[in-house]
Amino acid sequence: MKNKLSMASKKRLEGYGFIMPGFLYILLILGYPLVYNVILSFKDTNVKNFAKGTSTFIGVENYVKLFQDPTFQLVLKNTIVFTLACLVVQFTVGFLFAIFFSQKFTLSGPIRGLILVGYMMPMSVTAMIGKNIFGVSEGVINDLLLKIGFIHEPIEWLVNGGTALIAVIAVNCWVGIPFNMLLLTSGLTGISEDVYESASLDGANKVQRFFYITLPLMKSSILAVLMLGFIYTFKAFDLMFIMTSGGPLNATDVLGTYAYTLSFTKYEFSQGSAAAIVLFCCLFVVGLFYLRLISKEDD
Amino acid sequence: MEKAMTRLNTKAGRKNLLNCILALVIATAFLFPIYWLISMSFKTDVESFGKIVTYYPHEFTVDPWIMNFSDPDFLKSLKNSGVIALLAMTVSICFGVPTAYGMGRYKVPGGKGFLLSFLVSQMLPASLMLTPMYLIFGKIGLLGTYLGPAIAIASGSIPFIVITLRPYFKGIPVSLDDAARIDGCGVIRSFFSIMIPAIKTGIITVVVISFLNGWNDLVYSMTFNVKPEMRPLTANIYKFQNKYGTKWNCIMAYGAILVLPVVLLFVFLQKYIVGGLTAGAVKE
Repeated sequence: MKNKLSMASKKRLEGYGFIMPGFLYILLILGYPLVYNVILSFKDTNVKNFAKGTSTFIGVENYVKLFQDPTFQLVLKNTIVFTLACLVVQFTVGFLFAIFFSQKFTLSGPIRGLILVGYMMPMSVTAMIGKNIFGVSEGVINDLLLKIGFIHEPIEWLVNGGTALIAVIAVNCWVGIPFNMLLLTSGLTGISEDVYESASLDGANKVQRFFYITLPLMKSSILAVLMLGFIYTFKAFDLMFIMTSGGPLNATDVLGTYAYTLSFTKYEFSQGSAAAIVLFCCLFVVGLFYLRLISKEDD
Repeated sequence: MEKAMTRLNTKAGRKNLLNCILALVIATAFLFPIYWLISMSFKTDVESFGKIVTYYPHEFTVDPWIMNFSDPDFLKSLKNSGVIALLAMTVSICFGVPTAYGMGRYKVPGGKGFLLSFLVSQMLPASLMLTPMYLIFGKIGLLGTYLGPAIAIASGSIPFIVITLRPYFKGIPVSLDDAARIDGCGVIRSFFSIMIPAIKTGIITVVVISFLNGWNDLVYSMTFNVKPEMRPLTANIYKFQNKYGTKWNCIMAYGAILVLPVVLLFVFLQKYIVGGLTAGAVKE
């Protein structure tokens, strides 16, 4: 009996031995800075008083300042518009692609794989290409639109605020659509053929089958894809940073880039931290739902 | 020929053809930006400056590529990219794989809590970690080194590795453990010589993706390494954009070189990468 117990505890020790290095790494490299960030956001740390160590606690002043700042309000609006627009386009087109490529035809496999390459590329290069193709005279988007007669004057995509936001949304969807397609494909393949067959025998047409079989059966994977999409899109940084630098006049500035500017262009570390905490809180709310969804199915 | 014709004439054959055409249209649209990057990189200065947009290099030249490769600043950035990616990959694998093994094969108190903390850390945005990491790294002398960005990048890859590999380790039959024990294999030896080889596919996936995480990183390297001599290609895009001005052919050649390893890895290891992208994200 005694021997058996010590076996179990030896086993447990082994387990912890394997788990701990990675866990402690995360605790130290992510957990500690996270706590440090929260503390920073309640202080008045900037580049001047950080070295001297004379920063003091100022309560919620950074947050009050942020929410009263018209630029921050614009940034918050941009982030929401950007995220929602990307989610709608990515998800709809991604879903259509997933359904299309789930049919068995000669090129379905290879092409489905091929269009994923955009997702693996460095976002900074994607942003660079975006900057070029949305250029005024050198841009291929304008050239094509002019050629088909859709427009008569080249559009200054990245010079005007509204069109610049459309351009970054378009580029982000170029990356997001294949990714959504991939995730939804794995949900689609989980539905067995038999269900569809019996439905056709009952006289259900294609559209009915989609709304009454596919959608309900994929409910949880659809929710997961949407939430995951939200998490990835809401924290966008590289795209705007390279393609527009958040400009023109903050028109494409989002929470990620704005927090960076506060900390590393203006060196107002505490204000940057506060902006990052706002970003984090938004992600956290959605993240909780996401975690509940996927851990429920893990059992 | 006749056989092909009859196949075309059947309903299924026509549908197959139509689907293929539509798939090709989609592929063209989605691969166009990559084609554009490459075709632009072989244009002359005048052609890429573009009062008139050309859809393929009318005058083919490799000068933009030569220009990049003969630039010592470029070569240094290329080396930095490689060093940072390899370093980040090594750190991620050393910490991530054993943890995934422990979580997949041992039932320990608090196991659910560990898993939850890895899932949460996978969601943390880089923007949130930047300021505190910058200040902490500054204090312990990690700014302006390769290790600083590598450590930060690995903190994103480790949760990914744990979540991806845990089910792989879980799936190894217990009989393999027993066989190892009977053979007198210690815990450590069985981990290295039996468990890791047993899940080779998963290991390749996480090695490739944690390398790419390092190679693709922009924000950590840019923030922690102020000096351009220490920055990788991604973070020096700005510097080169200013240097080349409107020489889009040189900028695009720069981008093409940066994308090349990614495309090569993708072409040869596609099934490993694609499998890894969905792991743990959505349950089927």
